[in-house]
Amino acid sequence: MKGWLLLFALVGGTAIALGGVLVGAWWLAFPAGMLVGITVPQARLGVPAGALAGLLGWSVPLLVIQVRNGLGSSASSLAAIMGFTGQPAIPVILTCLVGLLLGLTGAWLASALRGLLVPATR
Amino acid sequence: MTLDPAGEAPLKTDDPKTPDIPDLPTHTQSARRCPRRSRSAINALLALLVSGAVLYASFIGAGPLPALGTAFNPATGAWTMAADAATVQSQTLTIPGLQQPVRVMFEKDGTAHVVAQTDADLFLAVGYVHARFRLFQMDLERRQGEGLLSQVVGKAALDSDRFELQLGLLRTAQLEWAQADDTTKVALTAYAKGVNDRIDEAKKTHQLDVMFTLLGYQPQPWTPIDTLIVKGDMTQTLNFTDTPLVMALLNKSLGPDLTQQWFPVLPPNPQSPYDPGPYPTQAKPAPITVLSSVTDSEAATALALHNRLANLPPGLVATGGASNNWAVAGAKSVSGGALMAGDPHLHLTLPSIWFQLTEDSPDYHTSGVSIPGTPVVLIGHNQHISWSLTDAQNQQTFFYEEKEDSAHPGQYFWKDAWHNYTSVSYDIPVLGGTTDHLVVKLSTHGPVISERGLTTSVWWAGNIPSQDFSVLMHVGQASNYQEFRDALRDWHSPTHNFVYADDAGNIGLISAGYYPLVAQGQPWLPMPGTGEYDVTGTVPYDDIPQIYDPPSNIVWSANQRQVGPDYPYYIGTASNFFDPGYRANEIKRVLSQPGKLSAADMMALQTDTRDFLASEITPILVQALAGDQLTSSEQQARDLLAGWDFRMETNSAAASIWSTFWQSYLSQTFDPTWKAKNVTVDRHELDDALGQYLEASTIAGGRPSCPPNAICEPPPPPAPPLGALRSAFHAAFSTLSTKLGGDPGSWTWGKLHTRVLENLAQISGLNYGPRPDRGDGNTPLAAGGDPSTHGPSWRMVVDWGTKTFSGIYPGGQSENPASTWYENKVGAWWSGLYAPMLSADEASFAPGVTTWAMQP
Repeated sequence: MKGWLLLFALVGGTAIALGGVLVGAWWLAFPAGMLVGITVPQARLGVPAGALAGLLGWSVPLLVIQVRNGLGSSASSLAAIMGFTGQPAIPVILTCLVGLLLGLTGAWLASALRGLLVPATR
Repeated sequence: MTLDPAGEAPLKTDDPKTPDIPDLPTHTQSARRCPRRSRSAINALLALLVSGAVLYASFIGAGPLPALGTAFNPATGAWTMAADAATVQSQTLTIPGLQQPVRVMFEKDGTAHVVAQTDADLFLAVGYVHARFRLFQMDLERRQGEGLLSQVVGKAALDSDRFELQLGLLRTAQLEWAQADDTTKVALTAYAKGVNDRIDEAKKTHQLDVMFTLLGYQPQPWTPIDTLIVKGDMTQTLNFTDTPLVMALLNKSLGPDLTQQWFPVLPPNPQSPYDPGPYPTQAKPAPITVLSSVTDSEAATALALHNRLANLPPGLVATGGASNNWAVAGAKSVSGGALMAGDPHLHLTLPSIWFQLTEDSPDYHTSGVSIPGTPVVLIGHNQHISWSLTDAQNQQTFFYEEKEDSAHPGQYFWKDAWHNYTSVSYDIPVLGGTTDHLVVKLSTHGPVISERGLTTSVWWAGNIPSQDFSVLMHVGQASNYQEFRDALRDWHSPTHNFVYADDAGNIGLISAGYYPLVAQGQPWLPMPGTGEYDVTGTVPYDDIPQIYDPPSNIVWSANQRQVGPDYPYYIGTASNFFDPGYRANEIKRVLSQPGKLSAADMMALQTDTRDFLASEITPILVQALAGDQLTSSEQQARDLLAGWDFRMETNSAAASIWSTFWQSYLSQTFDPTWKAKNVTVDRHELDDALGQYLEASTIAGGRPSCPPNAICEPPPPPAPPLGALRSAFHAAFSTLSTKLGGDPGSWTWGKLHTRVLENLAQISGLNYGPRPDRGDGNTPLAAGGDPSTHGPSWRMVVDWGTKTFSGIYPGGQSENPASTWYENKVGAWWSGLYAPMLSADEASFAPGVTTWAMQP
């Protein structure tokens, strides 16, 4: 496994996930994860990389919001709406988790299908 | 979950450390490959299932969860509330539909000033501004009235939707729009255009309110009918009442005599009508007979309908208002100009029902508060006059039992003939369920709202189309009392007490609206629908309660009965229609004191916590306790009452003792009868009316003599025995000792009484409070209930002598809970402070003002 391939997959996947988030196509984190899962043949690397791509794609915009406007008040309000008054970390964690899971499951599914469909190298 | 490594590099045959095994028998190779392939298949299946679950939750949502992907997308989902919450910046906006540039200024606290060069532009810009800050609130309000809440919240709202469509706000709004005059059409059309400009913009920029995102829907375009629906919501909240049903249930369980004694037409306690007469003498109302018995079937029908209405969400049925307004003529003011004060008491919500703004255009120069969804200032002032409203609370809801016969299916008997019901069909979309089909039957009286037992229809003044926006626009343009009064001639429902003051020192008060008259019968009960008991007209406009520049130099209203006992028309019963009158009595007492009054006095009175009922009863109680056997702690409690100023302050222990005593007194007096007669109405619903009876009997007087008209009353109630007062005191003492400890001095009112401002979407985490607060249901600073959820939704004080205008409301201009304008005015309001109501010119020089330059 070449390191540059992993890096390429990670950067590419992150870019796709991030771009999707920015234009409202949030679900692109999933195919981004799939891309990583397909590109990286080893699941133990590809799946975490896909998850990381999803996480980054979703958390970087949050970071931008924090820098521009501050997340605290919105996080508190969302937590209250969700029934977790006084626990503003929950919506932040949930948001990151959604991105992470989309990337992870995308990579996992791609990796698993790859293992199923592509005969093992002999 | 387990990630299977077999799927990625299952066989390492090229590994030099791994021996080749080419000659293994075929069945052995298969045995090794099959588990590997099985594991791969299982891994793929697992991945597929988990991916499906994640995608399902992201796209669709699960259970109470919204679609997580859409909802929490940081760039276009709920997190956009952070950018929306950021401080409003000066900017140039392109607003389609404008004819000329419009300037919108925002003070630091969010108060908006809209300056337009045409009237249509003014209303368009107001629509845009309202939608910018309150779109979700506006959408909820129209959905409520149009029966479309289920579409976005599911079947939990289906009862509400069915009821609203039966009652007919939508039908009425459609008729009103069809009959609207040109002025109204221009205003509502422009307003809708402005709202839609903002909806389009918000959709494009992903700036819709967070609740749209979380509920997973987008607002439909706004229409003028939506605005009329929002007005209808308000009318319903204020005067669609179930009182005749309650009276029927009381009649059945208590009997006609006791019902009439405890729930009479005329209030049995001291009153302060603002219009003392003389009244018109030409009217000769038909005699009203004493209450007759309610039959079993009538009672069962009333109970079924009463229970149905009781289970509807709060606000759909009027439960009694509590608002204050008054004015002081220039002759009695320190400044020499007229003074006016108004504080409508409504359900206190976040966001507030109000949005504060000034409207400036060639024909409109108004400042005050508007209801988001509607284009006009409802309470406020212009360059010459000021006005405020309280609910008049006369009876505008009448129930009719339709006569039906199995031989005439689909028909009802009215005026000696069988008539077909007309019907209207509705489809109610239900989120997560099947569309509900509803057929509403209509008789000549109105919509059928119950067919359990007797078929019952309702005649409600709110269902009569009226041009209220035209009226309000003319009120906003009036420059003297004559124009003001003329404008209100066409105001129909809800009936309001419109207080008036002008820059020439004049004051007035007129209770504009319909006062329905029935041909005969007992309108406070459900009546036969056969025609003899129909509503035949309304009290003539010149005969409705009103007063202008009275010799006393003061006018006031606080939902009390506006007229004295000799007023010749029936306008409602004491029970549940009119307020008991304690706030009105207190306001009149303060305003009537010698000396001149200032704007500061008006503010002090708006936040006054003196309980008039307590001031009447406490001295009698203290006197009754003089000969009683009291423990030292009880003596301490009695002494606290004896030295009390009757103010319900948070640090007052006497206030707690009084309040608990009064509840015990009511309970001990009425609960035995309630239990013995198995009354099906919650006694607490009727505490106001029962309290009036108990007050009158306790002070053993104050009951008006029977007037020379037909609305005759039973004799004054007998004074209660001394022991009843003492017993209630001991019970209250015991209750407080248990709840708050043995030291009466520590029983402060703030430990018992709180207030909460509730989030409009019923998200408790976004409430303000509950926090200890002063006042009670009888004080000018209204704070009934615990926690108190209703109260002064807007306080305004005007001094025409100094041309100073002050106002405050509990809330903020934005519905976004992350915004600094969500609750920024609450603190000042809670402390009894006011903010200056600046004109647009003044605001342009105010520190921190930001400006939107709107371009066509």
